[in-house]
Amino acid sequence: MKLLLTRITTSKPGGAQRTDEIIDAEILQIGRGSNCNIHLTDSRVGLQHATITKNSLGSFSIEALGTMLIDATAVSVAVLKEDQQIQLGPFTLVVLKPVNDADLALSLELTKVPESTTAPTTKQYALSLKQTWLSKRVLSWLSVSVVALAFLVVPIYYALHIPAMSMAEAKSQAQNQAHTNSNLKPTDSWNPGPLDSSHANFGRDCTQCHQTPFVQVQNTSCENCHKTIGWHFALDTTQAKQLHENIFANDDNVGRCASCHRDHKGTNALKRQDSPLCTDCHRDVKTRHEKLAIPNITNFTTDHPTFQLSILVAGKTGKAALTRISQDDKSKLIERSNLKFPHDVHLSKKGVRSPNASAAKDGNEVLTCKNCHTPDETGTRFKPITMKEHCQDCHSLAFEPAATSREVPHGNVADVISTVNEFYAQAALFNKPIDSTSNRAPQKNTAWVNQKAQSIVTEMMEKQVCFSCHTITKTNQSWDVAPIAVTQHWLPKSRFPHSQHSTHECAECHDATKSKSANDILIPDIKNCQGCHAGNVSVVDKAPGTCQTCHGFHVGGPGAGTPAVLPKAPVKAPLKTPPKTNTNLSQVSASTYMHPLGSGK
Amino acid sequence: MQHRTVLEYRRYRYFKIAGLVVVASIVAYFYQTTPVGRYGGTPVGYALGTIAAALIIWLMWFGVRKRQYSASLTSTQGWLSAHIYLGMALIIVATLHAGFQFGWNVHTLAYALLVFVVGSGFFGVFAYLSFPAQLAENIGQDTRDSLLLRVADIDRDLQKFAIVMPDNLARSIDDSVNNTQIGGGVYNQLRQAHPRCATLRTIKLIEAETNKLALQGEQAQTLHKIYDAILRKQKIVARIRRDIRLKAMLQIWLFLHVPLSFGLLAALVAHIIAVFFYW
Repeated sequence: MKLLLTRITTSKPGGAQRTDEIIDAEILQIGRGSNCNIHLTDSRVGLQHATITKNSLGSFSIEALGTMLIDATAVSVAVLKEDQQIQLGPFTLVVLKPVNDADLALSLELTKVPESTTAPTTKQYALSLKQTWLSKRVLSWLSVSVVALAFLVVPIYYALHIPAMSMAEAKSQAQNQAHTNSNLKPTDSWNPGPLDSSHANFGRDCTQCHQTPFVQVQNTSCENCHKTIGWHFALDTTQAKQLHENIFANDDNVGRCASCHRDHKGTNALKRQDSPLCTDCHRDVKTRHEKLAIPNITNFTTDHPTFQLSILVAGKTGKAALTRISQDDKSKLIERSNLKFPHDVHLSKKGVRSPNASAAKDGNEVLTCKNCHTPDETGTRFKPITMKEHCQDCHSLAFEPAATSREVPHGNVADVISTVNEFYAQAALFNKPIDSTSNRAPQKNTAWVNQKAQSIVTEMMEKQVCFSCHTITKTNQSWDVAPIAVTQHWLPKSRFPHSQHSTHECAECHDATKSKSANDILIPDIKNCQGCHAGNVSVVDKAPGTCQTCHGFHVGGPGAGTPAVLPKAPVKAPLKTPPKTNTNLSQVSASTYMHPLGSGK
Repeated sequence: MQHRTVLEYRRYRYFKIAGLVVVASIVAYFYQTTPVGRYGGTPVGYALGTIAAALIIWLMWFGVRKRQYSASLTSTQGWLSAHIYLGMALIIVATLHAGFQFGWNVHTLAYALLVFVVGSGFFGVFAYLSFPAQLAENIGQDTRDSLLLRVADIDRDLQKFAIVMPDNLARSIDDSVNNTQIGGGVYNQLRQAHPRCATLRTIKLIEAETNKLALQGEQAQTLHKIYDAILRKQKIVARIRRDIRLKAMLQIWLFLHVPLSFGLLAALVAHIIAVFFYW
């Protein structure tokens, strides 16, 4: 196919210039691309805008890929007709009558505004983000400034310029602000987490604990308030102090209160409850100090030693002391309280004879543990048992069958003797019958009184009443009642809150109904605890059993193993032989038997 | 050669390195025996924090590195690949450093900024993986400028045609010519729908009025031409807007990514100083 293409260009003065060109090709390609036969250099034209082909009927058709307008209407395919105007981008093709030997004749003219001078018709808007107000640089400076000012500059300035506050001032400030959270402090944003509830009332004054910038919290900060807290063992001797020095003070990680007590970890997270707190050292105590004579422990369920019971022993001389005896050492497991008390008799299902008419049936009352063992104020252990409160209702101290309302005083042999003496002396003096039902007046002489009183007291001391419960030995002129030493706290290095175990029956742990003697020790052994409590690793079906479940770290602390109050034994001074040393058990110091260097002390 | 994305750079070299960092951090995090819980203050916590801080500095150095055209030790593509993967790893390292403990404080602020920075970076990766193809498809053989020229041509035709039209139509066509907004503010560049477009209004008006007016002869033909032209205009305008939108989407995340990363740097410094000021 031969095409005669006439390009019409308009020069500046307005005169049209025509240039003819013969193009010979099978298919005519029109477009911006350099491979096109009809090359149109304008960006409004597509690379391959349209093609002209000869169809089977001998006519020519034009097919457009880009926009093609014929008579201002977009079409994609058209058969060429003479005088037809075809708009391709800014160019107009006009179909002419072919001359000479050409098959097709076209004129081509740029009929729209030339590309270079085209002015936009619409208002100009920003076409990229760079042309908008957005600026990475400005936003970055803004972001850095805001963060640095609010969270660095202002808090540091505040921290360096706040006047030092006493603890009391910090607390009162906290109280005044108690109901307003509006009063934010610049340093609040530095707080990494909630303080322990015990520190919350002064903790917004950071300097109460963090006394020097860039220095870790020192023990002195803690000791400002925690003045009485003890260390891991009593530091009452030079030896103990040296030991403490060797074990803790040189180890910065262990010696700092905050190494264990991390605050800002929640309102109840200040105390470590994990076993490694203890087992880190106690798994191999010799690495801490070669002279330590305590067993290694890693886990409550695997290698915790058998309990050692701290048994209070009041010897016949009256010297009382605590001795620790392993529960493995069964032959030595005897409580020498100097009392006679068969649990089995008292807990008999048939009951015991009782004056308590409301509780008794046919004169017998069935006793339970609670009748005598009353929980103490904390619910941890039990109040000491006293004669007056727990025994005397049944075990009357009456001495004259004819006058059961008269009782001897409890506690002192001399008082017993004088009371009995006085009773019979009075009867003799006034020559009256001892009771209203008797008509026989006693003989009016001292011999009768002495003989009567002697026989009564002897009966009490050697056969019943006093003798029922007490260990009594005859002396030259009187009797010696062995001092009572009832152990109040069998496992003073641990805590066992009975209140937390109140859902269990006493008999599940204490086999009292079969105990025939007061010498029996009814404290359950470790296997009994292990039945319910797991060790370091929590186990399904078991209660936790980490070290802290039973033990504490600090001497004298609320969770401590050391008894906060040592047993105040209901021990009276021995009758004849006055105490030499240590009779007052409340003065038995913790360190006497708590010392980790063992029993050598 | 098959085109490879930055993600596949050197057979996922930096994916593997980042994976190692993450696995090592997770192992260390769970392996540590700590009496006081897992958080930033344990030895492992300090180590993770140091790694995270170093990563932040290194990742931000990418902003400097990509401008150093002379640097040739490693390719910028490699740096970008590492930037992406280590940035993802950073989120995990930082989370482990925090020990999953969060609150209203500067420490969590730093973490939150980090999350936003990495999150916007995720969007950036997504944008660069999907928008360029859409852009090319949309623009085809044209350029944005040529499309604008074509709009201008159509506009001139429209103005010419409008003269013989009834007043309301003429006014509306004029409105389309003068007030069709292409581009504009940040929102207008990013928005997908333009329901209040002047050209669209005109099209709707023509569609509604054609039957009512019942124009005859040449006037009817002109209206037909106007309708044809304005529909073409509408298509081109839509393509230009899509081009603007996709290019804006390719960039917009950087206006978060970069400023927030500087904010993060400030928060990081504040975090470290705050921790040790009140140690």
